[in-house]
Amino acid sequence: MISSASITPETPTGRILRRFRADPMARIAVLVIILFALLAGGTALLSSMGVNWPYNPNLTSLEQKLLPPSPSHWLGTDNLGRDVLSRMLHGASISLTVGLIAVAVSLGIGVVVGAIAGYFGGKIDQILMRSVDALLCFPTFFLILTAVALLGPSLINIVIVIGLVSWTGTARLVRGEFLTLRETEYVKSARVLGQRAWTIITRHILPNAAAPILVTAVLGIPDAILSEAGLSFLGFGVQPPQATWGNIIADGKTYLLDAWWLILFPGLAILIASLSFYLAGDALREAAESRN
Amino acid sequence: MRTLRLFLYGIPAALLVLLVAAFLNASILSVSKKNEMSIGTLGEPSTLNPIQQADSASSQVGGLIFNGLIKYNQNLEIVGDLATKWELSQETTFQFATEEGAKSADTALDDVCWYVPLKRTLSGRALTIRFDQPGLKSSEDLNKLFLEKGFHPLPFPTLETGGKERPFKAEPIIRFTLRDGVRWHDGAPFTSTDVAFTYRAIMNEKVASPRRSDFDLVDSVETPDSLTVIVRYKKPFSPALLSWMTAILPEHLLGKLDPAKWPEVYNRAPVGTGPFKFGEWKTNEFIRLKKNPDYFLGSPWLDSVVFRVLPDPLTLQLAFQTRQVDFWNVDPWAVKGLQGDHRFDLFSAPGNAYNYIGWNLRRPMFQDLKVRQALAQAVNVPQMIKYILYGHGVRSTGIFTPQMWFFDPSVKPIHYDPEAAKKLLDEAGWKPGPDGIRLKDGKRFSFTLLANNGNEVRRDIATLVQDDLKQVGIEVKVEIYEWAVLLKRFVNKGEFDAIVLGWGLGYDFDQYSIWHSSQTHPEELNFVGFSDPKVDHLLTDLRQEYTRPEIIRFAGKLQQTIYGQQPYLFLFVPEGTEVMWKGAYRLRHPGPEGTWIDEPVHMTKAGWSYDMEWFYRPEYPPKEQRQKAK
Amino acid sequence: MTSFLLRRLGLTVVLLFIISIISFFIVTLTPGSPYPWGELNPKISAEVKANFRKKFHLDRPLPEQYAFIMRDLFTGDLRSIKDDRPVMTRIMERLPATLALNLAAILISLSFGTLLGVYAARNAGRWQDMAGSFVAFLFIALPSFWISYLLAIVLVKGFHVPILGTHSYGIEFPNVFAAGLDTLWHLLLPATVLAIGGIAAQSRYLRATMIGTLREDYIRTARSKGLAEETVLYKHALRNSIRPLVTGIGMLLPALISGAVIVENIFAYPGMGRLGYEAVLERDYPTLVALNFVVAALVLLGNLLSDLLYAAVDPRVRLE
Repeated sequence: MISSASITPETPTGRILRRFRADPMARIAVLVIILFALLAGGTALLSSMGVNWPYNPNLTSLEQKLLPPSPSHWLGTDNLGRDVLSRMLHGASISLTVGLIAVAVSLGIGVVVGAIAGYFGGKIDQILMRSVDALLCFPTFFLILTAVALLGPSLINIVIVIGLVSWTGTARLVRGEFLTLRETEYVKSARVLGQRAWTIITRHILPNAAAPILVTAVLGIPDAILSEAGLSFLGFGVQPPQATWGNIIADGKTYLLDAWWLILFPGLAILIASLSFYLAGDALREAAESRN
Repeated sequence: MRTLRLFLYGIPAALLVLLVAAFLNASILSVSKKNEMSIGTLGEPSTLNPIQQADSASSQVGGLIFNGLIKYNQNLEIVGDLATKWELSQETTFQFATEEGAKSADTALDDVCWYVPLKRTLSGRALTIRFDQPGLKSSEDLNKLFLEKGFHPLPFPTLETGGKERPFKAEPIIRFTLRDGVRWHDGAPFTSTDVAFTYRAIMNEKVASPRRSDFDLVDSVETPDSLTVIVRYKKPFSPALLSWMTAILPEHLLGKLDPAKWPEVYNRAPVGTGPFKFGEWKTNEFIRLKKNPDYFLGSPWLDSVVFRVLPDPLTLQLAFQTRQVDFWNVDPWAVKGLQGDHRFDLFSAPGNAYNYIGWNLRRPMFQDLKVRQALAQAVNVPQMIKYILYGHGVRSTGIFTPQMWFFDPSVKPIHYDPEAAKKLLDEAGWKPGPDGIRLKDGKRFSFTLLANNGNEVRRDIATLVQDDLKQVGIEVKVEIYEWAVLLKRFVNKGEFDAIVLGWGLGYDFDQYSIWHSSQTHPEELNFVGFSDPKVDHLLTDLRQEYTRPEIIRFAGKLQQTIYGQQPYLFLFVPEGTEVMWKGAYRLRHPGPEGTWIDEPVHMTKAGWSYDMEWFYRPEYPPKEQRQKAK
Repeated sequence: MTSFLLRRLGLTVVLLFIISIISFFIVTLTPGSPYPWGELNPKISAEVKANFRKKFHLDRPLPEQYAFIMRDLFTGDLRSIKDDRPVMTRIMERLPATLALNLAAILISLSFGTLLGVYAARNAGRWQDMAGSFVAFLFIALPSFWISYLLAIVLVKGFHVPILGTHSYGIEFPNVFAAGLDTLWHLLLPATVLAIGGIAAQSRYLRATMIGTLREDYIRTARSKGLAEETVLYKHALRNSIRPLVTGIGMLLPALISGAVIVENIFAYPGMGRLGYEAVLERDYPTLVALNFVVAALVLLGNLLSDLLYAAVDPRVRLE
């Protein structure tokens, strides 16, 4: 194995696979992510077909309020008798969607800004990077709070806002990659051949910067999930009755000393999901770095 | 290298040790208590100026710093506070066609003896009669008497009698005799000038006092001497007496100060006459009051009272559980668990407040009475009482609660009947649309229901209403905001569709400011924009009646009419429960004839916290024997 | 050195200028305006409305408003729309609590983060390293409000220990020492929660640089000379990996203040995070602009300080 790897240049995918094979923690993390995605997707699919499993997440049933975990309600019920497991399953799809779309938004902006700054350099670079510095000085959470207050609390707005404020890291990283790659022989020769900047960026530089960008993307997902949870918790998040992991905790906090299951389980879900993304992202990063 | 290692291991180790020490310290601390009462308030008081505040946090603090002229005693009877005596009377003026007519009408009254004392003044064609029974009815009786005897008083222009054309002008008068020797916290004497000033301040537009409507009918406030205040009203106004429970402000500090400067100079460091002086205000932390040893009823037993500003009920509960605040107004769901617990004293009482959903009647969809009735039928209130309040409450049947003596029990609640609701909505022109949501003229029946963050009961109401209304084809979007924001951004502006709120109004039958059509401006309390001529008349009449049967009659009509109009969806009247650590306080308060009564904290008609200024901690028993309390 | 300082200060001023513009426009380009009476009702006298708008310069075009806010900010006349008090007073009364909380959090994250990072780097590739990584990511993934609540359940329900505010109330402290410890407890508890993310970040950062340093030639030389592993590790490797420890401070601050919004609300702690949170809720624009400005200034100052410190601990760096 090892010798073959050292003889033939390894493809990025191969490198990643090898890395994951060697790292049991990363493997488990990926499995957990897949499990969450399946559960969230399955729940969403079922409910779009009108099937609610195990229960309808928004169905209040006051006779069954604040029940501790039991065989009929595995994770208990909340103050309106809604099944916590059902709400968490529906919350999963929201959390994962928030994570993915927010990262897409931040990646889009970050890559464009970073690419422009890194490729063209000079004044443009200076201006863009000073703006990034300025943004980094703001407490992100205030920015998010202010922006959500301005736009109003809806799922889409929250996703956009989280994306909008988290692109600076990506921009810096992409700029760095571009600065290095710009000086490589093949880019120089492409430029000598008179290829247009757009072609050079998309054909020659971006593919080579793909690995670190992918890593930031994966590591950005849990950041977004945690931000959404925090916002929901402060009452700026997705509005009721829509369940998210954050607002199950926010709604349940009144019963903190009496109904621990309203706090413990959704928090564990947030923790496990973000932890898995971080571990998988870190394994990816190591795989990406080991090429050098 | 040594130093590096020292830092590497030393700092974390030191931090751990500190944390453990601090934890141990904190866990053994609760033994020795200061002679200080600690009260949790949800939300920061806006100002401590009693005539500029409207929030309960502010008035709770102000209640210990200030006094009114009168107050309720523990049986809800009116007793003197800064005033020792008050006399009600009324001047009724009749005009006759000729001077002779007036004279003979005057003599005709000589043999009438049922108004004693009866002072009469004759001036030209006008005859003014003064008697000690204020109210429209007594003046009307006099008028009847004249008619019987063949005299015909001339009508007064409507402007002078306030709305209706009447053959007489009735002007009630209150004469207050003030307590002698009262001093402001800064040592200046309290006099009638302060009372007159407080009235002027309330009426001053720059002060923007929310209490202004209470004093609109005051004609003049005279101060013949430093201990006498004579208030003359333009017309009979029965809540007038109660309005003098308003805290009195110091003229010597504020009289010459531009109200624009009050926020900096006075509102955060007020000077009053009450049992406690202002001490310190740390924003978002606490307000501390110190005892006023020169209080006119005697020094309080506690050294200080601290109001802790806490962001939400959960922090209040955490603070109570760790004995950081002494009282906890518990939510209904927790009452059951606490009842059997011997560590606590529970004070439960039927509530005086009701919860409701206010429909913004400026919105076209809520303008149709049928729609409002349908909404009332579609919401399952009994279920709310059973599960949100755990049965600790009753249905609300309008603007008064069963606790009030003028409550009309004949008003029956609207029954939960979703089918009838659907029918009514159909009749009103709201037909089910393709997505199940009703449509009228192409508009979907969809609205936003607001509630405040941190109030679980209201949030739950909102969610349940959302559920219930979905069943009848109405889409409700729930939005939850922080209280201050809800008030400032929506309620005060009147910019909302519907809102879950509650009223706790004390024992006042006068609800003019909530229901009269003139009170719909921003910051005013008729924020739903309710306007009904019949209700306007009833409100005006009710506040002119001073006798019990008349008040009951008008209040009943008012309750019926408003309930029929359904400007609110009246939900329920919850029972209130306050928890105190067992035996944390006792009460030693002035009794009759200069005696002092020592008793445990208990429930009174005016609530468990009546006489809070006389609470004391058993570990700090009152030492000195008080001579006499005036 | 002097020219460096001047240049950095110049840059800081430019950055602050950019920041003030960004925060002003974010804050003012809102639908609706900070209007205490509402705009629908015609009955509020036009005079009162005009007075209010004039007082807060809301009747001017935005660039002028910006100029007014900046002028008032520097002359100290900027007033909160909420309670009409000077904004700087409102911020300054929170500053001591905020600084105490953040410094404590920084101290905790740096000290424990370094410990964890060194441990992981020493055992790079072994199971201890994996465990270290796991713990670090676990810490990053912990939602601060969740862990705060779990702590609250344990401390309040289990031990009846007060956890809210800056000190215990209603208690007669036997001596200054007990009172001090009590204040410390109320500080360390939220600071620890706040520091959890920082510990993780610091440990990851330090581990990475230290592994890099351990591969350097001079470390190999030192090892081959037969120096004790401990000496190599602390004298050479750690000292040269010290940079993240120092530069970390500046960059930690904005993250900490963000995190503090939640922690301060849960622990009823009267810091700037709660002020900002409430200002957002109240739409108190002057306070928000000023707060963003002050935080940014603090961060830039922190950066400058950490660069200076860096130069002090690493003789190879010259400030030019």
